[in-house]
This record gives sequence, structure tokens and C-alpha cells, in this order.
Amino acid sequence: MELFSSKEGLCFQQLITYPEIKINADCFSFITGKSGCGKSTYLRMLSATLSAPDGQIFYRSKPLEDYPVLDYRREVMLVPQQVFLFDGTIRENFDLFYDMREEKQPLDEDVQRFLSICCADFPLSANCSTLSGGERQRVFLAIFLSAMPKVLLLDEPTAALDEQTSETLLHNLKQFCSQNNISVVCVCHNGELVRRFADQEIRLGEER
Amino acid sequence: MNGIVQLQLWQFSLIYLLLLIVIFIMKRCSINRTKLLIVASIKMTVQLILSGLILTYIFENPHPIFVVAYVSVMVWFSIHRVLSNNKDLNKRFKAVIALSIASSGLFVLLFFVCVVVGESIFNPQYVIPISGMLMGNTMTGVSLGIKTFRESLDGQRAKINALLCFGAAPKKILMPFVKQSLETAMLPTINSMIGMGVVSLPGMMTGQILSGTLPTTAILYQIAIMIAICTMVTSASFGALYFGYRTLYDSKKQII
Repeated sequence: MELFSSKEGLCFQQLITYPEIKINADCFSFITGKSGCGKSTYLRMLSATLSAPDGQIFYRSKPLEDYPVLDYRREVMLVPQQVFLFDGTIRENFDLFYDMREEKQPLDEDVQRFLSICCADFPLSANCSTLSGGERQRVFLAIFLSAMPKVLLLDEPTAALDEQTSETLLHNLKQFCSQNNISVVCVCHNGELVRRFADQEIRLGEER
Repeated sequence: MNGIVQLQLWQFSLIYLLLLIVIFIMKRCSINRTKLLIVASIKMTVQLILSGLILTYIFENPHPIFVVAYVSVMVWFSIHRVLSNNKDLNKRFKAVIALSIASSGLFVLLFFVCVVVGESIFNPQYVIPISGMLMGNTMTGVSLGIKTFRESLDGQRAKINALLCFGAAPKKILMPFVKQSLETAMLPTINSMIGMGVVSLPGMMTGQILSGTLPTTAILYQIAIMIAICTMVTSASFGALYFGYRTLYDSKKQII
């Protein structure tokens, strides 16, 4: 079954025109293509934080607009490229993020477990402002993953990571997501990683 | 107590000499705002001469129409100033700002003149100066509040986007910004209350004392006007921000 689909000709503000795209469910899919070809924009449209021209994107064969939008965003969660963490400890960040969703705070051991999946085994009392860019990115990812969406949209999750950590992170993610039936759509520039982890690859911006 | 010394025109014009000091300092520090200063001084002079003449006429020929017209122009002008300082707001946000300035202005003015002072709402001697003070302060307060709101939103795009993606409701995300901007709008007024009477004798009180009013009466008016200003700034900024921020997201819960 298709997770997402959009017909040929979907375009965004006359700048980017997309080919027909079909993304499979229960897969680790990659979207690749050179910079500026509209990968991030496509992810944002999938997450309903950016308007797609009406009815042209389908989620589980229903137009995306037919879903109540906040529930949809909690089910299909985009981890944006630009990391944001509050000033404070990792624990406080989890609390503040969950508070924004008006949900109860996750347990310490759950937080620790998700941090470890995301290669971010830091103490919960570590202050986020002392973490490096790559460390912050992993903590940020752990917060989103801990909310257990059904679909995870990742926008260059390995951009600030070294090769070794990137591999471990994607390996852990793939394992965790397939165990928990989470579909993943990931934008990535690293061809090697795509070859190793992709169940499906969608290439954008290719000359035809 | 003596009435105020009637200023002779030649005497009065001496005060403009002080501007030379300002120009001198500007030149020394190469602040290229001499033109602005001159334009501002001329505008101020002309506007005040006009309002002096108009007020003299209105006081001699009091008529509700004049009062209504004068107050409307003041309200319109302060709304216009706030909006021209914040050009890139959407239309609905602008309408909300205009409506909250106008409605809270009207309410506080009515309460002050009719309930506290016990005068008719059409008495120009009370209504016009008081609404002038109210509108002037409101203009500054609301302007500051909206500006803070816009700038803090612009500076926090990453935060807003991250929380939106995490599935937080726009209301929940934007409320802290509303609260912070409201605080910024209110603080100057509250702070000026703290220093009042110690460091500064405020304008209205000074004016009344100069014209021969007993200081004990003058302070009552001053206290009343300060509380009125505080209420007015708070309620106008609250209305503008609290109802205005809702215009920033649509039914798809995207924050514009």
C-alpha cells in the first residue's frame, strides 16, 4: 500500500514542479537530488506545515486535507532541518516539548532509551547549550522519535554528523522503526548511506 | 498663587536657540539627522499653532460635533502611526489593532470624564486634553508591543517551526510571544509611575501648576490620568495582541 502519493505536475509557487511520486508504507525511503530541487519543500508539504495545492497529495489514499491537521501532524511528524532546543537541560527540553503538545512528560528511562537510539547518550541533566551542533541535532531527533509517530519525515538528519555516527544512527533508526512499524521518509545527500539503508529511493530534479 | 506669565512672542522664540546645542552635538558625533530634527521642530510648531487656534475656537464655541471630530482625528492619527510603524501586518491584524485602540480609548475616556470628573463627555476643556494624553501614550505602548511581537516572531522561526512540526497547536506556540510583548508594552508606563513625583513632575501636573492650580488638586488629576493611561495602554495592547495573533494562522494551522 502507498503511504504518500502525488500526481505529476504538483508544483510549489511556480518554482518547483514535481514528477509523479509514490512512497511505500513500512519502508525506509530516501528522497535524493541536488540542492534546491525541492526535497525539503516536499517534506514540509507532506507534514502539512506548508500548503500543497489542494488535494494533490494523498496520505494512505486519502487527500491530506481530509485529516484533522493537528492529529495528522502528530501521526506524520517532520523533524525539521533547523534544530531548535530550549535553553536548559535535556530533561527540561523533553518536558517543554511535551508541554507544548499538552501531553504528560515521558519517563526518565524512556527519554534515556530514545537518546541512546539516536546516539545521544548524554546525562539528562546535561545543558543543551553546551552541546555541539551534531549533538544537538541528535537530541532534537530523540525528542521527536520519543513521540512515536506512525511516519517519520527526516530532513537531513546526518548533516552535522561524522560518517561513523551517521551510520550507527541510521542503523539504529531503521531497526527501531521497522520493529515499531514506523515508516520513514528521509532526505539525504550522502550516496553511500542511501545505498546502504534505502528500501526505496526517490530521485528529484532529474533531467528527463 | 499667580496666573501664568503670558509669553511674549519674541521671548518665546528664544527657546529655539536651545536647538542649536542639539545641532552642534549632532554635528560633533556625525549623527546625520539634522534634517529630521529641523523637520520635526517645524512640524511640531505648525501642528501646535494649528491646534492652539482650533482649541481656542472650540472653547469659545463649544459644540458636540467639534469634540467628536477632534477626538476622532486624534484616534485616527494614533492608529495610523501604529500601523505605519508596522507595515507588513496582514489586513485583519491591522483591523484588530485599530478596533482595540478605538474601543479601549472610548471606554477609558468615558469613565474618566463622566464618572470620575463628572463632566459632560462633550465638554471640550476636559475631553480633548485628556484624550490627547491617553492616545499619545497608547500609540507608543501599542506600537512597542506590536513591534516586539513581530520581531520576536521573526527571530524565532526555528522554534515556531520545530514546535509546529511536533504537533503543537499554533495558539500554544504563540501565546508566550503575546504575553512577552504585552509585558513590553506595559512596562514603560508602569516604570514611569515609579519615578513620578520624585525625579519628574509630569507634564500635565506641571501645566496645571504653572497655570495656577493648587498642587494638591494637580496631583489628583495626575494620579487619575496615570491610572487611566496605564489601563488604556494595557487594554489596547491586550486587545491588539490577543485578538491579533489569531490572524497569523489559518484553518490549516499553518503559521504565516
